[in-house]
Amino acid sequence: MTIKRFFTFCLFVMCQIILAQNDSITSLKEVLVSDKNLKAYSASQSVLKLNDSIINKNEALLTDLLNFNSTLYFKEYGRGMLSTVSFRGTTSSQTAVIWNGININSQMNGSTDFNTISGADYNSISVKAGGGSVIYGSGAVGGTVHLNNDLLFFNRFENNLRLDYGSFNTIGVNYKTSISNKKWSAQIGLSKNSSTNDYKYLNRYTWRGEQRWNQNGQYDIITLSANAGYKFNENHILKLYSQTSNTDRNTSLITETETKSKYINCFNRNLLEYDGTYGKIKTNFKTAYIFENYQYFANNALKNYTYGKTENLITKLDVDYHLFKSTHINGIADYSRTNGYGTSFGSHIREISSAALLVRQDFGTNWKNELGIRKEFTNNYKSPILFNLGSSYKFNDWYNLKLNVSRNFRIPTYNDLYWDEGGNPNLKPESSYQGEIGNVFTFKNLTWTQNFYYMKITDMLQWVPGTNGIWTPQNQDKVISYGTETLLGWKKSYGKNIFAVNATYAYTVSQDEKTKNQIFFVPFNKATGAVSYSRDKISAYYQILYNGFVYTRADNDPDEIINDYTVSNIGIDYDLKFLDSFKVGFQVLNLFNKDYESLENRPMPGRNFNVYLTLKF
Amino acid sequence: MKFSKLLLIALSISLFASCSSDDNDDPKGAYDNGFFILNEGSSDVGSVSFSSDDFTSFTKDVYASANGSDLIGGYLQNIFFDGDRAYIISGGSNVINVVNRYTFKLIAKIDSGLANPRYGVVKDGKAYVTNANTYSYINPATGDTDDYVAVINLATNTVESKIELNATANRLILENGKLYITEPNSSTKLLIVNIATKAIETVEIGSSGDSIEEENGTLFILRAPYSGSGEIVKVKLSDKSISRIAFPESLAGLGFMDIEDNKIYYTAGSSVYAMDINATTPSTTAIVNSPASYVYGFAVENNRIYIADAKFDKDSKAFIYNLSGVLQKELAVGVGSNGFYFNN
Repeated sequence: MTIKRFFTFCLFVMCQIILAQNDSITSLKEVLVSDKNLKAYSASQSVLKLNDSIINKNEALLTDLLNFNSTLYFKEYGRGMLSTVSFRGTTSSQTAVIWNGININSQMNGSTDFNTISGADYNSISVKAGGGSVIYGSGAVGGTVHLNNDLLFFNRFENNLRLDYGSFNTIGVNYKTSISNKKWSAQIGLSKNSSTNDYKYLNRYTWRGEQRWNQNGQYDIITLSANAGYKFNENHILKLYSQTSNTDRNTSLITETETKSKYINCFNRNLLEYDGTYGKIKTNFKTAYIFENYQYFANNALKNYTYGKTENLITKLDVDYHLFKSTHINGIADYSRTNGYGTSFGSHIREISSAALLVRQDFGTNWKNELGIRKEFTNNYKSPILFNLGSSYKFNDWYNLKLNVSRNFRIPTYNDLYWDEGGNPNLKPESSYQGEIGNVFTFKNLTWTQNFYYMKITDMLQWVPGTNGIWTPQNQDKVISYGTETLLGWKKSYGKNIFAVNATYAYTVSQDEKTKNQIFFVPFNKATGAVSYSRDKISAYYQILYNGFVYTRADNDPDEIINDYTVSNIGIDYDLKFLDSFKVGFQVLNLFNKDYESLENRPMPGRNFNVYLTLKF
Repeated sequence: MKFSKLLLIALSISLFASCSSDDNDDPKGAYDNGFFILNEGSSDVGSVSFSSDDFTSFTKDVYASANGSDLIGGYLQNIFFDGDRAYIISGGSNVINVVNRYTFKLIAKIDSGLANPRYGVVKDGKAYVTNANTYSYINPATGDTDDYVAVINLATNTVESKIELNATANRLILENGKLYITEPNSSTKLLIVNIATKAIETVEIGSSGDSIEEENGTLFILRAPYSGSGEIVKVKLSDKSISRIAFPESLAGLGFMDIEDNKIYYTAGSSVYAMDINATTPSTTAIVNSPASYVYGFAVENNRIYIADAKFDKDSKAFIYNLSGVLQKELAVGVGSNGFYFNN
């Protein structure tokens, strides 16, 4: 049944490829990327890069961007509400979110809420599949999502402003200014995305016969970013990244009569980075301060709230030694100190040090090898030795084979260790062994990536009731995940007409080793497709998302599922050629008015609209 | 001839009459002569399962079968009955669903005046429902003093008044016009509420007082602390005098108590014990050792012992034993099973 489905899908994708085409993204300027290791140590894994032209075609929040453009699966508690990810069948705390090279998953619950992040605050967002704990630490099991701000050093003064207005009073303001010369580069950004979010639930009525709608779903997300770089000379560069965000969000109700509650999440992230080259030695020194705070108001009518707060200081030294022509060695030492306090877990300091050694060897341009090993030192938990071993070999112009094996982990969180009552100080990290084979085919305008992976995760942390009725986390289950991912990109121009097609597909089996049941809320099948066309001043695009059914129960009760859904968006914009660029755009989201939900009784909106202006000056 | 006709009529009338008297024992709906299992739910709404007493008929989600897509609400806490009606309390949604107890068809919803409703009892056309209102970990100032009893007019299905308790409230029973209320987490008192005068008295019983029953003029309250040993507190209704039955530490993880046919049944861990109602020391010999990993609901009725083994990410299990501890039936029920309610 599933195999059949897979082939049907392939057929569907192939058809699209025959029908469609590409978007040219070339940057000739010198770009200083914040996360060098993403480029240097990802030859043997698959990285999907979403640049600003893709970011601009999607709704503001990261969930939407990644849902429609990658193999990641999301579970949303209603539009704009808490959104958790599953990558390669893993849990939400087994996907690490990396901000300019720094892991920003919550110290409190281990995961990132993808609806607290707006895509336009970054120059690019990359999705790297597979293990990455050697470089990125805890949570890089299923994969990593990289939010990058790139600094460019050339003479420019550029402003970007985007204004959105859509259904349910959805307002977006995104402004970014980039000022740079050959020595200096600065980028200042502001984004504000809000919505009253009071959409109607399609075909749902109360017992009194009234139309049901999304109550208490309003949100407001504000982010301020400032990034700057200074080049003393070619060999010495200093960079500073800073970001503050505030998400003020009510929690959408399942039934109309529930007590209304809300969350306020606040982040402050600062990163100072120095790059120095001394002959064969390249050093990179990072120091970061990351602050995270949440306040939960269980009853909006009251002023009272519960809270949790962490302050995390990270220092990291990365020394790259160019051993000989083809070989680089990196030694990385880092120290992280977290001070966490909150209503539910008291006050605790956690210190973690680690040392890592990375080797990469390039035999010509066709054969690349990487090796990494890392060990953490802390008295909070027993830490396994992590490793990463990979190779990429380009057989010819059109075929590149990649192999990678790694061991990764996810450390216990503040909630797991210290929750009062129930926190368990004697936990081990969740750890995984995994292997993957990647095949990259490149023909003319087409790139086709086909990955196969197998992963075994042990010591899964699970909260279970103890004999006295108090819930407590335990290392218990083992999970085996395997599957395949397809990434397709195609691009072609016929005279002034430019066509592009991108598609992804993931087949995921993720099962409890004991029961052999599929992990609930992991779809066997997920696919996305995007087609775009542009000519002169006009560009138009169409997106489609297919999400296969998911079980909602651990026992795979066939009656307890979320049905599969297919959702489409369409958009068009026109450049009035005023200023550098002045685009007016219009989008129809959920074009076919599909009644769908990703969680039980959390309906998503039907057909809705968005208009936008994009100005460059 | 005439007489015989008369006889025939008389005969047929008597036949008809006897038929109609038979009708009284016929089921009044699909869910007569059986029991409901209340499943509180987890992130999604709860459900109610039904099994007939002879286990031949079972419906996993009675409310959805009868009412389609209408939502019963989150964190279902309790069911109480009055006449042909059943009242299902949803603490998470601040709602009481009023249904026909035999068909489970929705009649009305009581959806204002409730704040985290917990348990209910009925007397003379009125329901008395404890409301936990806010909790002290959210609202330290008044969380432990804002609980109330909602007085509901069952003819109009509206909350007509509130009895403020100035304390915390959870389980309750009604006896001789008085409500007897316990609350295990924040209270050390038994609350006594006179429903006519709304006067409130308190009796100090100690913390963790939870299951409460009345037999022969005496209240039995199980004190079941998280750690350490528990006890049964006996309170005489006449003079509120207290006596106690201490439990040994070996009976760890005390959970629930039910009194049936002059025997006190109680759970400790996943086992069930029984003692005579007049005994002064508890039994430490289990009559049932169930495979349950989390006993979350318990009842003894009609010579059977009912245990709910709650699961929150999949079907819970209900185990039904006879009084000798022999398993009669195992049922796969909804998420978070927390109680049994008998419909006969």
